Amino acid sequence: MGPTVQVRFTEGFARAFTGGVREFEVEARLLRDVIRAMNERFPGLGERLVEETTVAIDGMMHETAYFQPVPPGGEVFFIPKLEGG
Amino acid sequence: MSAEAKEFKWVGTRPVRPDGVPKVTGRAQYGADYRLPGELIGKVLRSPHAHARIRGIDTSKAEALPGVRAVVTSADFPDHPFAYIGPERVAQNFWHITRNIMAREKVLYEGHAVAAVAAPSAAVAEEALSLIEVDYEVLPHVIDVDEAMKPDAPLLFEDMTTRGVEPAPDKPSNISKRVEFGIGDLEAGFAAADHIVEKSFRTAPVHQGYIETHACMARFDADGQGEIWSSSQGHFVVRAMTAKLLGISPGDIRATALEIGGGFGGKTIVYLDPLAAALSRKCSQPVRMQMTREEVFKATGPTSGASMSVKIGCTDDGKITAADATFNFQAGAFPGSPVVNACMCAFAPYDIENARTVGYDVVCNRPKAAAYRAPGSPISAFGVESVLDMLAKKTGMDPVEFRLKNAARQGTQMVYGPKLSHDGYVETLEALMAHPDYKKPIGPNQGRGVASGFWFNGGGESSATVHVNDDGTVIVGSGSVDVGGSRASMALMAAETFGVDYDKVRCVVSDTASVGYTHVTGGSRVTFATGIAVHQACNKVIDDLRQRAAMIWDVDVDAVEWRDGAAHPAGANVGDFEPLTIGELAAKRALTGGPIGAAGTTNAGAQAPGFSSQFCDIEVDPETGHVQVLRFIAAQDVGRAIHPSYVEGQIQGGVVQGIGWALNEEYIYDDKGRLENAGFLDYRVPVASDLPMIDAVLVEVPNPSHPYGVKGVGEVNICPPMAAIANAIDQAVDTRMYELPMSPPRLLAAMDANGADGDD
Repeated sequence: MGPTVQVRFTEGFARAFTGGVREFEVEARLLRDVIRAMNERFPGLGERLVEETTVAIDGMMHETAYFQPVPPGGEVFFIPKLEGG
Repeated sequence: MSAEAKEFKWVGTRPVRPDGVPKVTGRAQYGADYRLPGELIGKVLRSPHAHARIRGIDTSKAEALPGVRAVVTSADFPDHPFAYIGPERVAQNFWHITRNIMAREKVLYEGHAVAAVAAPSAAVAEEALSLIEVDYEVLPHVIDVDEAMKPDAPLLFEDMTTRGVEPAPDKPSNISKRVEFGIGDLEAGFAAADHIVEKSFRTAPVHQGYIETHACMARFDADGQGEIWSSSQGHFVVRAMTAKLLGISPGDIRATALEIGGGFGGKTIVYLDPLAAALSRKCSQPVRMQMTREEVFKATGPTSGASMSVKIGCTDDGKITAADATFNFQAGAFPGSPVVNACMCAFAPYDIENARTVGYDVVCNRPKAAAYRAPGSPISAFGVESVLDMLAKKTGMDPVEFRLKNAARQGTQMVYGPKLSHDGYVETLEALMAHPDYKKPIGPNQGRGVASGFWFNGGGESSATVHVNDDGTVIVGSGSVDVGGSRASMALMAAETFGVDYDKVRCVVSDTASVGYTHVTGGSRVTFATGIAVHQACNKVIDDLRQRAAMIWDVDVDAVEWRDGAAHPAGANVGDFEPLTIGELAAKRALTGGPIGAAGTTNAGAQAPGFSSQFCDIEVDPETGHVQVLRFIAAQDVGRAIHPSYVEGQIQGGVVQGIGWALNEEYIYDDKGRLENAGFLDYRVPVASDLPMIDAVLVEVPNPSHPYGVKGVGEVNICPPMAAIANAIDQAVDTRMYELPMSPPRLLAAMDANGADGDD
């Protein structure tokens, strides 16, 4: 058993892809593990996460990328990607 | 400057800018300056109609005109499947993009490109355009966002239904999508409020107003290899989008960024580059293109105009209990306004337990919206910060104290989901309170207004190279276009990292064949993300230099430390060695392994958001409605200012653009949807004589995720000015303005109609 992290989605994203469920708990050390675990529960979701979201890990914003470490018990919040001027 | 900053020798100083001499002597090459032997001039035929079906295009007479080398229409570009690619906010649908650069079935705005020609002179090219016959079926048009949302509005796309609505609508509309964010219990929150203000607002679409118009040169050879030189905020994006639109490999294009005369988000996309490339491929000659100012106004992306409703409740002691807002944004001719950003940023400066934001993205017969400085956030801030001012008055609180009482801090739950990761907002408010001008008395017809703003700031992919010359001078190359001083800031961070003098570092913007992928200069991301890449490359070189010193001294590399631009023995027991400077080590490069250099690459994350709090003093002329800005103080959390003069310039520039948005700027259309003020004479941006000196207050709360504490600084400064000025006007003449611009006739009409405070 690896460390668990809390996965969260926005309401709109959850409605579209996870049957409206906004919160999950998965085992993960890297964001790669989170994406794989969510894709196993909802086939095809992994690609959506990579392509369509930015991620906040304990509030810190990152590009959604495999290499990003996630701390044990941490919150991984997938939100719409952002663009600036 | 913070105490931490004083430990640095170069970071936080104000050396002469490296691009200064070429720019003031006229030697700098901007987009339209670049020349090649045998070049042709490219010109674009544009739609005279706001909305029309194209029944046919006949280019035969133009092609037969002596001198004309190439003519292209949409038939020269491959079509693309209808598919949104990438994240919702920035989704790219190349079915849309290829139709934006060159109209196919319909023209969707006045100025929409329908054909392009290349000829030896502008005169011949323009004559050729006049010979192209386009058979239009003119259609009803719609520009206003609220009109475009009505069920009986003219449809831009007869098969478009609203995304994000369940069940999916069975009728088409101009509403491209609906988004919603929310936390808590709105009903309970408003029930707990002693005061509730609910108001509607409108903002005008405004252009970025960059001084240099779009321009590029493209050259393709018979082997299919091409080059593009252009004025853009990201030459890697120019390469990628042009290749996709032409149906060729990005590897077949080498893109070079020329000097850029402003972008503010409007040059993060392509208009001319694929047209010049298509023309050049067709005739195998270089093609140069440049937009006129009229073309810029009619055919390139402004930011959205919007309508919105904002409802906020608070207790008697000023604690906000609930907030709710709906934003309707003009996307222009194709979906993709910044309404998602507006929804996410609207309440971000505040700790609000119960909140909801809803956004609608609406197409209309105007140019497709493009990014503009903190896209979306200034629009929502106008409504939200105006309502907060009204609530502060109802509670009898000072507007800064009201905001302080509700300020978001690290750990505050954001309406868009996660918790706020960094502090910085409170410090900007405290800076305003401490400013000596905040307590200064004001005179008759004068008012003081306060407002704040939030912007995420960006990270993402950047690359850099570092090479050491044999005299120890350092060449830093990056893939970031220098719009706001990045060559200076990269040089300062490299000098600091190496411990060498700033004037020993030369910084260049490398082309797409000379450095790794680097995302656009936008989102206030470059000093943060590219700075990390530069820092990484410098440290790789330092590690290499330590290895070389260890080789010269015959010691282990761990016995060598780097400081003050030289290798030093790490301790007394290493040996009695004189330090080896970077220049001395570089002089022995052949002996110790050859050329010295390294690359740095990153997908940078953990960027910190930006907060800005501002107040202004204005005076209203009661006879004309003219607003004179008397004083403007802008406090911004900048993390750490690498080159404070540039940072102050960013703040001053953002505030000035906000003042223009507040008081003057708007598009004026005739009844056929044709723009009547496509020039700086009639589309009035502020000029120096309109303005006081903008007092930029640098608040430094360093970002621990960056080696020098950097936070993005380029955008958040444009968020507060519109509401700050509206709040000041209300204080000055007891008239609340709900629509931008607050131009003299509009303010005069509101004052005449009002006679009493409209806050209730």
